Amino acid sequence: MEPTQNLDAEGITRRQSLAALAGAGALGLAGCTQSTGGSGDDGSGDGSGDDSLSGSINIAGSSTVFPLMSAIAEDFAEDYPDVSIDISSTGSGGGFSNFFCVGETDFNNASRPIQPAEEELCADNGVEYVELIAATDAVTVVVNPEADWVDSLTVEELATIWESDPAQTWDEVRDEFPNEEIERYGAADTSGTYDYFIEAVLGERGHTSDYQATEKDNNIANGVSGSEYGIGYFGFSYYYLNPDQLKALAIDDGDGPVEPSLDTASSGEYTPLSRPLFTYPSIESLGKEHVAEFARYFVEQTTNEDLVAGDVGYVPATEETQEEQMGKLEDAIERAQG
Amino acid sequence: MATDNQNATGFGEVSRVRGIVFEYLSLGASVAGLVALGVLLVYVAIDAFDLANASPEWLLTYFLTLVVPFLAFCLYSADDAAVTRRVVGVLAGGLVAVAGVFTAIETFVVTIPRLSWQLAYLFVVAAPVTAYLAYVGSHGRVGAVGFGLLGRLVGGIAVGLAVGTLFLVFDELVWFLAYTLGVLPAAALYAYGRWRAAARAVTAAAPIGLLGLVAAAVLRGVVRTYPSDLVIYLWTLAIPVAAVGALVVAARGSRTAAVAAGGGPLALATAGGFLAGSVGLPGPTTLIVLAVTGVPTAVYVHRVVDVGEGTVGLGLPLLLAAGVIVGALVVEAWGVPAPDPWLDASYVTEAPSRNAAEAGLYPAIVGSVIIIALVAVLSFVLGVGTSVFLEEYTAGSGLVGSLTRLLQINIANLAAIPSVVYGLLGLGLFANLLGLGYGTAVTAALTLSLLILPITIISAQEAIRSVPDDLRRGSDAMGATRWQTTKNVVLPEALPGILTGTILALGRAIGETAPLIMIGAATTVFSAPGSLFSRFSAMPMQIYAWAGFPQAEFRYGVVAAGVITLLIILIGMNGTAILLRNRAERGS
Repeated sequence: MEPTQNLDAEGITRRQSLAALAGAGALGLAGCTQSTGGSGDDGSGDGSGDDSLSGSINIAGSSTVFPLMSAIAEDFAEDYPDVSIDISSTGSGGGFSNFFCVGETDFNNASRPIQPAEEELCADNGVEYVELIAATDAVTVVVNPEADWVDSLTVEELATIWESDPAQTWDEVRDEFPNEEIERYGAADTSGTYDYFIEAVLGERGHTSDYQATEKDNNIANGVSGSEYGIGYFGFSYYYLNPDQLKALAIDDGDGPVEPSLDTASSGEYTPLSRPLFTYPSIESLGKEHVAEFARYFVEQTTNEDLVAGDVGYVPATEETQEEQMGKLEDAIERAQG
Repeated sequence: MATDNQNATGFGEVSRVRGIVFEYLSLGASVAGLVALGVLLVYVAIDAFDLANASPEWLLTYFLTLVVPFLAFCLYSADDAAVTRRVVGVLAGGLVAVAGVFTAIETFVVTIPRLSWQLAYLFVVAAPVTAYLAYVGSHGRVGAVGFGLLGRLVGGIAVGLAVGTLFLVFDELVWFLAYTLGVLPAAALYAYGRWRAAARAVTAAAPIGLLGLVAAAVLRGVVRTYPSDLVIYLWTLAIPVAAVGALVVAARGSRTAAVAAGGGPLALATAGGFLAGSVGLPGPTTLIVLAVTGVPTAVYVHRVVDVGEGTVGLGLPLLLAAGVIVGALVVEAWGVPAPDPWLDASYVTEAPSRNAAEAGLYPAIVGSVIIIALVAVLSFVLGVGTSVFLEEYTAGSGLVGSLTRLLQINIANLAAIPSVVYGLLGLGLFANLLGLGYGTAVTAALTLSLLILPITIISAQEAIRSVPDDLRRGSDAMGATRWQTTKNVVLPEALPGILTGTILALGRAIGETAPLIMIGAATTVFSAPGSLFSRFSAMPMQIYAWAGFPQAEFRYGVVAAGVITLLIILIGMNGTAILLRNRAERGS
């Protein structure tokens, strides 16, 4: 490696790269240019045509509504690739108090209606919203598939199992049940399902703390399918999509036992455990066209049985509910866009 | 010592039982952990690649076309009859043993779910033997060449993809201006200064570069017309890489080869970029990948041919590619039922979906890569800065010494704080107070950097402390200032240790979920983040959400594929860092 050789070689490469450079420059001049427009802001407000929708939509809230919201958002994102949607599964309450009521998110999903404390927080921060019903969920009470001695429970019996001073063995619930200890698996107290179960079944009697509490339906399912005298409750979707793994109990609210199903929940027969799921768009955000369009699309999709029931496992809204929600939404959009 | 044993008469008797028991207990402890981890990974791999549905014929086909040629290559490279006998013995004996034990367990004890004896053989015997042979083979000349080439191909693709991913977020127009005005002039000045030994040019390089960067930031707001993305990447990345490659080859004395090693891959990359762009693939990323893969490969091939040793090893990538193709052809021709892996091309390029078969991890992968890149830079700079200050600049006694010790204790305690607390800190400090936004990439990167900072600092301190004091004193004796000693002696010596600590810490950061939940990172996004301030999702967030889905396909297949993807990226990251470390070790 004498230096002269080295220099020569370098000379060649430099010439080479210069040539390549010139080529690249020529390419650039030949029309391979791009120009940037004005600083592209949120891109909202601009609703002249469907293709022009762009911007971001921030969604947080209930982990129960999360699968439904992400299924609908997925389809919307395919139609409008320039709208970027992000969804966080924070729990209903966490979403309201940490993100929605301080004006950080456009939508908040909830598996229960907004609570007074949260309304106050929203009002303090000047966040207005409209309540939309997303779908119906049937809280499902499940036992081990081997438990052939029980097919249904009355609401009163359900309350004896889950109240704050609960029955210890099954024969305390009903005389013909076996004298075996009850193993309870239920929703954790951070979950909207827990709040709803108290409201619908237990009322003043309070929820027992003698149970395995978890946020994940899988854990409840695994617990119940692993213990012959176990009982648990969770949202409808897990049971609907895995019907063979567990046995759902019919619930008797005075008019005879009713099994949880799409039909009984949507017709209102499955009481008291069928509950509406909500999403709360903020009025200010609805002023942006891409958010308003997404809200419309969402309400349209709530009756889509393939999506809501087939893919996600909830009960689709009825046509009437949908019309009502659409009316509410259009009013809100009009107010927002003035 | 002898006075201690006043009661002992002579040597007496010493029981060895305790020692032996202790030895086997430690062995058991280490084996228990490894076996548990191994079983977990085997099942995750089986789920992710749907190997439970792989027919024995399919496994046999690829074993013969892919694994056996690879083993043969390694054996050829090792060129050791003893190794060959041992490997053949283990492979054959293992086959009998695994089949026998597996069948015995299945018949007499319990059925093993989603595992057949063929798969068990693959994981328990074939995989370790392959790893062992790869290790042995890489010590032979032929094997070293083969693995070197393979490493450059794989590494180039990984680096290219990572760079392409980063440019999804960073403004390539700013980079274009910064490169043209700042980086290129500075580099040119520096090179010129080194070449002509003109010290002034070398010193001027840094300020000129800085000036160019500032000018770029200002001009970005003014200039409206830019070359197209492809031309930008060609000019700022492909051409420099090719030029460096050509220079390296030229330094070995061959002009034509230099032109070929630089120009060939460059032409290929340019053509590939334009072609990919015209068929709807991301052209710029293709260009980058081809350039950073092609040039080092060409340079390496030239070196191997130049040296003339182990050239046969260059055939290894061809051997493997041929194995895959032949295997695919055989599978196709005989109609062997093939598994349908969850982890496939669409999984890493598509957005999440409610249908398990269509679900993808792309936006979360991009989010994680961007965060981890930022975290790596931030924690390295902050961690090394802190540890150098604590080790080299503070006094050991007096008031300052006490303060330093206090600081030291605090840092050690910070390492034990739960990650949720760091999430709260990030939420309060970065998202709220500094207004960087809820769940943005910047907030997440800052939070995770803080989270791993104590680990980085402590390991960097250890590394710096382990530099022998003689070296420092020697440097002092030469009249070097403390800054010169730190820069020229301490840091180069400590670098391998510092890098090791950073690698471990980054591994923790990429898998964190709790702080991300606290700062409001999204669980699911449907498009890759477009800027540092857009909301993003990270792999662990999305994987955790999927694990809660009611559909079994999500909980097993899709989640397993996510875990494997996370592991692959982690290994890639660690591999890069280990390469850098080894290079630093060799350098010092």
